[in-house]
Amino acid sequence: MKRALYVLREAVTGFRLHRANSMIGIVTTAFTLASFGLFGLTYLNVRNVARMLQQDLQVVVYLQDDISDADRERLEQQLRNDEQVAALTYVSKAQALAEFRQQFPEESRLLEGIGPNPLPASFVITLASSERPSADLADFGERVTEFSGVEYVRYNRDWIEHLTLIIRYFELGAVGMGIVLGLASATIIANTVSLAFYARKDEVEILRLIGATGLFIALPYIIEGAMLGAMGSGVALGLLWSGFEVLRARLADSVWLSDVRSLLKFFPAQVSIMLIIAGMMLGALASFLSVHRWMKVRV
Amino acid sequence: MIHLFHVTKYYQGCLALHDVTLRVEKGEFVLVTGPSGAGKTTLLKLIFGSEVPTEGQILVQNRNIARLRPSDIPYLRRTMGFVLQEFKLLPGKTVFDNVALPLIIRGLSSTEITRKVMDALRGVSMEHKKTAWASVLSAGEQQRVCIARAIVNSPLILLADEPTGNLDPQLAHDITELFKAINARGTTVMLATHNRQIVEQVNGRVVSLHCGRLVTDQGGYR
Ligand SMILES: Nc1ncnc2c1ncn2[C@@H]1O[C@H](COP(=O)(O)OP(=O)(O)OP(=O)(O)O)[C@@H](O)[C@H]1O
Ligand SMILES: [Mg+2]
Repeated sequence: MKRALYVLREAVTGFRLHRANSMIGIVTTAFTLASFGLFGLTYLNVRNVARMLQQDLQVVVYLQDDISDADRERLEQQLRNDEQVAALTYVSKAQALAEFRQQFPEESRLLEGIGPNPLPASFVITLASSERPSADLADFGERVTEFSGVEYVRYNRDWIEHLTLIIRYFELGAVGMGIVLGLASATIIANTVSLAFYARKDEVEILRLIGATGLFIALPYIIEGAMLGAMGSGVALGLLWSGFEVLRARLADSVWLSDVRSLLKFFPAQVSIMLIIAGMMLGALASFLSVHRWMKVRV
Repeated sequence: MIHLFHVTKYYQGCLALHDVTLRVEKGEFVLVTGPSGAGKTTLLKLIFGSEVPTEGQILVQNRNIARLRPSDIPYLRRTMGFVLQEFKLLPGKTVFDNVALPLIIRGLSSTEITRKVMDALRGVSMEHKKTAWASVLSAGEQQRVCIARAIVNSPLILLADEPTGNLDPQLAHDITELFKAINARGTTVMLATHNRQIVEQVNGRVVSLHCGRLVTDQGGYR
């Protein structure tokens, strides 16, 4: 009991004794973790938006002009029964023309006098959301082109592929940055703890003299490192959150961006807690590595 | 109790002890003397497990020090006390807390700690200063507190490396009396010094080293 108390008190004392160093450790850790967090936050939001965009994957299936009503109804049934189809709307030739006229009033005159309505009828299909939208879209397109009565199928795969690629790069970047910045924070914390350790070399010598085990000597420093890491990641989260709120307030002022605003999300509570725990473990590990070689010496 | 058997110690090629064989029985008071650089500190450090012999064997309480793993050394040290020439107290702690440290390390309860610390402080006549900061003590008082810390665990062996080196003759005399009293209660004491006055005052066994060799071994009940 008294022993546990002693270790804790030493950790806090070390922290207070080297306040300047500790502050530097916390602040630099906070900034490295915050830049990682910024990246993570951007990733999180891009992924959210991408998920949403990918949710309305639209495919337009144009019908052959000479399709009979019976064949059309059979095709519609076939499509409705398809498990990849989430929703389906029929656009008749007349509707297509009306839409065209509405959208392009200038050009609509061109269509006049060239005989019957040249625009095809179509089914506008929304696909069920999927984990790999790009591939599913291609599959679906190829499959449906073979159905009888189908003239051709139009879908735009390019932007989805881009989005998927961007997200892939983001993920790679997040892993890379996480490793680099994690190592940087760990080095900073290890350094801070080493300084604290050296500053109290006399004390360590005395502890060895009276038979303290390596673990007992190292534990206050490991706890100190854990505190630095936890505080660093706490400050980092605070910084990120403030920045995030400022950005959201700015977006609220502009009318057309207010939609984006409602999409923006901060880290959920569990992720925030996990980030703090990760910072704590990083700090503890870093200080363990920086003092553990002293645990083994005889003197 | 302590048995050195043909012990040789080199520090990076520099000879510090050469073929030293020595046997110390329980309850003895052994003075280790010799000129500067003779190997007195080295001898004590070997017994304390701070250094490993280059050759030979060292048995302390039937444990082979040379073969001890570093992780076992702390447990060996809890059965010994070591007093150095420099006082080595934690300046930011009180006298009581300094003396309590070896007991806290062992995980004793508060009541036991208080009892043992007060016993040890009485043993060195420092109980009236228990709440004083270690940093404000005089030299003689600091050394007394160091001795209290060394004996608070009731060690079987007390090692002292020139404990009076930084003290004036009167204080040196008082501190030496303290060691004699501790020895009289049954603790084996090994004290390194080149002070003739202390050698005469103790009037016990004297082991003399010269250039790392044991040259004479007189007195005591051998
Ligand atoms: N860590 C070390 N590295 C290298 N040489 C050392 C080391 N410690 C001691 N020596 C050498 O070993 C020899 C014995 O040293 P030691 O400290 O045991 O002598 P001593 O009898 O205690 O001397 P003093 O009376 O001055 O304290 C000396 O020549 C010293 O220079
Ligand atoms: Mg010496």
